[in-house]
Amino acid sequence: MNFLHLSSEIAARMNLISVLLRHNMAYLDPGSGSYLLQLLIAGLLGSLFVVKASWGRIKTFFRRLFSRRDNDSSDEE
Amino acid sequence: MTKSNQHLGASFRDPSGFLFLRNGLLYRQINHIYHENYQTLMDSGLYEELVHKHLLIPHEEVVLEAAESQQAYKIIQPELLQFISYPYEWCFSQLKDAALATLKIQKIAFNYRLSLKDCSAFNIQFHHGQPLLIDTLSFEIYQEGEPWVAYRQFCQHFLAPLALMAFRDVRLSALIRVHIDGIPLDLASHLLPIRTWFNFGLLSHIHLHAISQKRYADKTVDKSTITRRMSSTAFLGLVDSLETAVRGLRLKIQKTEWEDYYQEAHSYTSDGLQHKLQLVGEYIDRIQPNSLWDLGANVGLFSRLASDRGITTLSFDVDQNAVEQNYLASKEEGAADLLPLILDLTNPSPNLGWHNNERMSLFDRSSPDAVLALALVHHLAISNNVPLEWLADFFSSLGPWLVIELVPKSDPQVGRLLATREDIFPKYTQEGFELAFRERFDIQDATQIRDSERILYLMKKREDF
Repeated sequence: MNFLHLSSEIAARMNLISVLLRHNMAYLDPGSGSYLLQLLIAGLLGSLFVVKASWGRIKTFFRRLFSRRDNDSSDEE
Repeated sequence: MTKSNQHLGASFRDPSGFLFLRNGLLYRQINHIYHENYQTLMDSGLYEELVHKHLLIPHEEVVLEAAESQQAYKIIQPELLQFISYPYEWCFSQLKDAALATLKIQKIAFNYRLSLKDCSAFNIQFHHGQPLLIDTLSFEIYQEGEPWVAYRQFCQHFLAPLALMAFRDVRLSALIRVHIDGIPLDLASHLLPIRTWFNFGLLSHIHLHAISQKRYADKTVDKSTITRRMSSTAFLGLVDSLETAVRGLRLKIQKTEWEDYYQEAHSYTSDGLQHKLQLVGEYIDRIQPNSLWDLGANVGLFSRLASDRGITTLSFDVDQNAVEQNYLASKEEGAADLLPLILDLTNPSPNLGWHNNERMSLFDRSSPDAVLALALVHHLAISNNVPLEWLADFFSSLGPWLVIELVPKSDPQVGRLLATREDIFPKYTQEGFELAFRERFDIQDATQIRDSERILYLMKKREDF
């Protein structure tokens, strides 16, 4: 086992320990039910959020789409 | 812990640190275990942004001998609050603003890859009229993939009581006093009307949440076997969903006997009311208090005589709607020295929590220089049968100065209180009142209010009893 291999091993373990330590800071019991519910509805919440955040762009897209159609039809006259 | 350090009774659950008093000054010890989170808060820019937006209590790092030196990383001294109030003393909008402030802090923290690790309503205090976070050690580094550890606490401390107040009865905020870690979600779920099942936010975060809690209550969940993750988008979506749910909650306004009273039409002529305002203002100028409590303040008309003079003023009333109106008005005015709160003088909040030492009774928290007891005495002496001597005793225990209004039996308000009951109050006269209060106070001034039989008194606590 060379030095490089050993030091990367140590770094990995220290990283793991620091991640575990960080979790111990949350002294509060999140509650299993609360924890699992969040995971369950995560997908739905994420999608709703994305739609909400892009709502302005979605509206503008449809507005432009319909105004283009109107322009096309008026050109024919 | 040595005798010279007094560890605060509510500050023990979090291993990150704790509050303590030394020589009458308040400090927070930060333990080594928390140092990375603390430095990230300070170095990332989150601390500056939150303090600038009046969302977090500012603090200074001090060089001091630690209270528990083995674990100590740093000691900080937070800015002092004018008064500590508790969520069960807040009106609906105060609790709602506290909830929205918490979520706002969480959203801002997320930009710095930090997150709140707890969401106790007791971590929010009103400072200069605005809600802010007082627990500097509430932040942790955000781990993508992990659900929000404080979600349960947010729902119990904020969403559940707000929903109960909005959908059932505003007086249900009193449940917070009984359940000091927030209202259990199954209780809230049972008490809320069926139509809340058709509200997406309440359905998910209260009803389904309660079901999920019950389902997994006695099951051990092995986190290592769970492969599902919560993306940061979903995390933000959760916070956003909670915010929408809170914003959508509104009170249906309930009329009570008090609200009509302070439309000022009934008890005084406009001349009389102006006279009373002028007198109280003069008394306040004479006393020059640093702090003032207005008991039975209703919508805070007289409290503002003090707060407009820059005096730290607490404006108490038992009527939730009066306190609500008072608070909403103070927000519009930007009143920095006025804090409206709910208080039932016949049953004030006691010491609560572990060893009855976590949340202090009102009278143990602080004492004012001056007390206003306007249009109040008859409600205590007649409606509540409290003897006048006991009232004098009570008021003298609060602070040195008292401005008190005697509402005699000839007044229509008292007439109303005695309408359907026997008059068992022979001592409730001007002579009886003054005799009882002279036991504890020197009466410095007594003036009859114009166009009224009511008398306004300025009293100073006697030194010699």
